[in-house]
Amino acid sequence: MNASMRMLASVSVLAVAASVASPALAAGTASGTSITNTVTIDFRVGGNVQNPVSASDTFTVDRKINLTVAEVGSTTTSVSPGQSAAVTAFTVTNVSNAPLDLALAAAQLVGGTSAHGGTDNFDVSGLGVFVDTNTNGAYDAGTDLAVTYLDQVAADASRTVFVVANVPLGRATNDVAGVRLTATAREATTVGTLGAAITETTGANTAGIDTVFADTNAGGNTARDGIHFAVDDFTVLAANLSATKTSRIISDPFNNTTNPKMIPGAVVEYCVAVTNAAGSATATNVAISDSLPLSTTFEPSFGILVNGTVTSGTCNADGTTGGSHASGVVSGTLSDITAGVTRTVVFRVTVN
Amino acid sequence: MKILLALFALLMPAAVQAAGSVSLVSEVFVERTETSADGRSVTTRAEPDMVVPGDSLVFVLSYRNDGAEPATDLVLTNPVPDSVSFSGTDDASAAVSVDGGKSWGALGSLTVAGVDGASRPAEAADVTHIRWSLSQPVPQGGAGQLSFRGLVK
Repeated sequence: MNASMRMLASVSVLAVAASVASPALAAGTASGTSITNTVTIDFRVGGNVQNPVSASDTFTVDRKINLTVAEVGSTTTSVSPGQSAAVTAFTVTNVSNAPLDLALAAAQLVGGTSAHGGTDNFDVSGLGVFVDTNTNGAYDAGTDLAVTYLDQVAADASRTVFVVANVPLGRATNDVAGVRLTATAREATTVGTLGAAITETTGANTAGIDTVFADTNAGGNTARDGIHFAVDDFTVLAANLSATKTSRIISDPFNNTTNPKMIPGAVVEYCVAVTNAAGSATATNVAISDSLPLSTTFEPSFGILVNGTVTSGTCNADGTTGGSHASGVVSGTLSDITAGVTRTVVFRVTVN
Repeated sequence: MKILLALFALLMPAAVQAAGSVSLVSEVFVERTETSADGRSVTTRAEPDMVVPGDSLVFVLSYRNDGAEPATDLVLTNPVPDSVSFSGTDDASAAVSVDGGKSWGALGSLTVAGVDGASRPAEAADVTHIRWSLSQPVPQGGAGQLSFRGLVK
């Protein structure tokens, strides 16, 4: 039998087989498992069946340390200025073939490009790390506990970890705060206690259980250091309101409504228009408060119209009756103003 | 008379064991492919001292006829070990089984029941056994090697 010829002839066969059989190996066979291969040969001599002959060999599976941290989903967490307990979630997975403790640390990016293309330009406050204690995939304040490590994570098991922070006031739409969650593999020696640091087996391989770091350099990580991180970010979506106030003379006591003049007794209509810029967050609870000009008197017969519209910069003086007037101050609360929408408050006064 | 003898041999294999002897060795190596500084891919085989899930293994089976007469009808049967996923063999003539050694054939001719109960073509990872049937006799002192590959699950 010509072994080398056979090897050459079968290279293509092998290549095909190998490419088909690349299963998604996660944690895999447990560290310390013995794998024994046994082969048996049946044969005849002189036409007579002989006793089968067997041979076997055994090796031990070593400990492969691998872990991943990944953001949940693929989009930034949209936050409002002043929002407390903004949450971004990560999945931390033990891809080793042995149980691990996983030390956790959250940190903020300092400038640079964040996870979703934006540039980190502010810091959140009160950064906290919480584990999804009730495993419902959502952060539940008071239920999901603050942690510094994940205890006894079995091979192939993963946990959801929330990074929770407060967003300062005064940030504008598309401001970005990047946060990084880093997990470090530690020994899972004792339940309830963070285990010791893990060291790779250095020097010659041993027949016993060796330790190999197998984590990758994906996403800017350092390969084979037993540490893995992922970045996610908070992106501000703020309302961007602007207000304009216009007036027109409705009538005077002599010209009535035909070319009225600004004389005592004239009726003047004011229109306060509030616009939320395109691409902004919906503004809610928008309250308008406007002090009447000196020497004018509120016109109670007209009242106050709220939630009116503006067409091409001209106040339509429409809307529904609402708001209130007291002590020379007109007040009105507008319905939610979505991006690109203008709402008005309209009232009239008489010139004293 | 010949037929009778052969039958006798089949029924009483132990009685004729002394007539011949074939030795067999099973070895396993870890195969690693690394890219050298000049960009070439270099594959090395090493003793399985350092083996972790995902590693490529090469099982090498060496046989030799130590007897005084030629050995014929050699059949090597190797169950794929637990924790190893079969990934191919250097010998296209090998037969494989995906049902624990009940039926045999080329991988492409076998099917297995999928998760939905419907039958699907067998894949390398489904292989449970591999078997070589040597058509040529092995003369006295003759030897050969066979091998197959797997991945540590």
